[in-house]
Amino acid sequence: MDAEKIRQDFPLLSKRKVIYFDSACTTLKPKSVIEAERNYYEEVSACAGRSAHSLAKKTTELFEGSREKVAAFVNCKPDEVIWTKNATEALNLVIRTTDYSARKRIATTRLEHHSALLPAMEMRRRGIAQMGFIGTGPDGTFDEQSIANSIGRDAALVVVHHTTNTTGMRSPLEKIIKAAHDNGALVLVDGAQGVPHSKIDFRKLGADFLAFSGHKMLGPTGIGCLVGKSEALERLDTFIVGGETIETVNLDAAVFKKAPKKFEAGIQNYAGAIGLGAACEYLAKIGMHNVEEHEKKLAGKLIETIKSIPGAAIYGSQSAQNRSALVSFNLKNVKHHQVALMCDSLSGIALRSGVFCAQPAMESMGAAQGAVRASLYVYNTEKEIETFRSTLQNIAKIG
Amino acid sequence: MLCFVALFVLAVLSLFSAKYRPLAARAFSCVVKKATLRPCDTGLDDEIKAASIAGIMKISPPAAAFTNRHFEAFSLLFTLLFFASIIFTLQGMANFVIYGNCNGPEGGFCIYNGLQNPNFLKAPSTLNGIMAGNNSSNITVIEFGCYTCPYTKDAEAGVHEMLDKYGSQVRFVFKPFPLAAHPNSKEAAISASCAGEEGKYWEYRARLFGNQSYYRENGEAAFKKTAAELNLTGFDKCYDARKFESQINLTQKEGQDCGIYGTPTFFVNGKPFVGQLAVNQTEAEIAKLLGN
Repeated sequence: MDAEKIRQDFPLLSKRKVIYFDSACTTLKPKSVIEAERNYYEEVSACAGRSAHSLAKKTTELFEGSREKVAAFVNCKPDEVIWTKNATEALNLVIRTTDYSARKRIATTRLEHHSALLPAMEMRRRGIAQMGFIGTGPDGTFDEQSIANSIGRDAALVVVHHTTNTTGMRSPLEKIIKAAHDNGALVLVDGAQGVPHSKIDFRKLGADFLAFSGHKMLGPTGIGCLVGKSEALERLDTFIVGGETIETVNLDAAVFKKAPKKFEAGIQNYAGAIGLGAACEYLAKIGMHNVEEHEKKLAGKLIETIKSIPGAAIYGSQSAQNRSALVSFNLKNVKHHQVALMCDSLSGIALRSGVFCAQPAMESMGAAQGAVRASLYVYNTEKEIETFRSTLQNIAKIG
Repeated sequence: MLCFVALFVLAVLSLFSAKYRPLAARAFSCVVKKATLRPCDTGLDDEIKAASIAGIMKISPPAAAFTNRHFEAFSLLFTLLFFASIIFTLQGMANFVIYGNCNGPEGGFCIYNGLQNPNFLKAPSTLNGIMAGNNSSNITVIEFGCYTCPYTKDAEAGVHEMLDKYGSQVRFVFKPFPLAAHPNSKEAAISASCAGEEGKYWEYRARLFGNQSYYRENGEAAFKKTAAELNLTGFDKCYDARKFESQINLTQKEGQDCGIYGTPTFFVNGKPFVGQLAVNQTEAEIAKLLGN
């Protein structure tokens, strides 16, 4: 994989002098994705699945074709792909529509993103469900002995990340999914930071649901996906209802369609979905194994770089294994916001600082006030990390 | 602390452009938090600090480190200086409105005078003062000046240049206008007049402007020492009796009546020119009147 060649596909990188290390927030977009969206608006711009005219048919073709591309990307059936506006909506969809009448508990971890944690807390606040937490240590690792005990027979749903957005570390999904299924619970995997960075085979993974966002994997903003096993999707109640979600309706009752249409109310984000299809194609062309290899190399260099800075403290694992190219850290005596702002001012390095929408996770790792996060992707290079190193060295000296 | 300064600056900018209003709102929130001893959570203080330190780092990394370590102290100092300057500016503006000079009733150079149209000044009605040039010329150049005023000193070379060039074609009158803001100003005027009584006015004047700070600091001893060096035998008696004080008071009063608000002020046939550059304008006006 040639990152220098890949960079040429990203218009922003040729227009602005920037070292973009904020891909965990959102990624840059390649020309093919921008073109796919533009093509929809300029050449088609109609509704899918409703009207019978040729533009509508073309829209349906592109829209459903994109669903097939996403399905192929994560290895599931097209009917198992539900369009949402982002991973947050996909997580909300499952957590809020799961049946908690027989089993009351949602098992999750302190390391989850607010988008996974808050819907579960909402269910608890309303008295619909209870919450339990799988044990994790201050270094962001799982207490694997406690997984089965934490889930238990009363768990209806286990909500867990594939890769955290705070440390880039991956969770022991195989063990968690097995323990959940042994206990009869469904498993919802937050793949927002996983799907863009590693080869995920939904079939092999064995989870019941997988949520992810388009904009974190080179796709457009405003589009995401919930992938679910057909039988698991059928167990969910309705979420947002409206046009195209029903077979028939009278004033007394409605008969809803099967997934995915059951969950796709109203006019969809066609341009976004088509753009996400183009992003999946782009990543597939690079090859997700190549993406993983590239990130592993970058992660190793990034960790080594940050460790070489006097007074730097990395949160979570300090190994390049089993992670994405994402590292959170703090410098001694220089506030995280200041580090990020100065990197931008001095070298045009775009970083994230704060608690990354994962306050309990950051608190559990001893970074309640926040940290700096560098998250790299296919278009980043080792040369950029060298610039990052010299910039951090200068900033560390002021502390 | 810089949020206080930011609020003031951004509030003023917000009056002229809506794009500064969200920033001003953040600064306001920050100020409220700081004033109630809570941490500022708008991020504005971090942004100001990061931008400042990054800017300094581009010039000098050690200075950036020093500033970063003492940033709160620098912020406090800068904030206090900022508000002190605001207070002095407002005080000056109030003086300007009330007394017509930002220094108050004592007068002196005032930057706001540049805002005024010097044409409001009235031309002096007498020729009292130190005379030079061509007494019969119909072009009269009058200078109101203070011997211990740095601006009058700065104009002195221009005055000599003008007299060298046009001395035979214009009448020149120097009217002493001592300003209380400058030390020993009236005493310097008395001294110059005493020297003039013995025919050495211009030599003495050259000494006064040539080493102005010496006379500002040392007063009487310096005046008398210079007089001795110039062999002015009657100087001490003249000086001690403050012989020319009443005359100087008259030219000073005349200047006040004319509305003089800073020295040097020149009049060319009644047309006023004020400030350091006024001597150049004066020379240009003379050239115009002479048809050069």
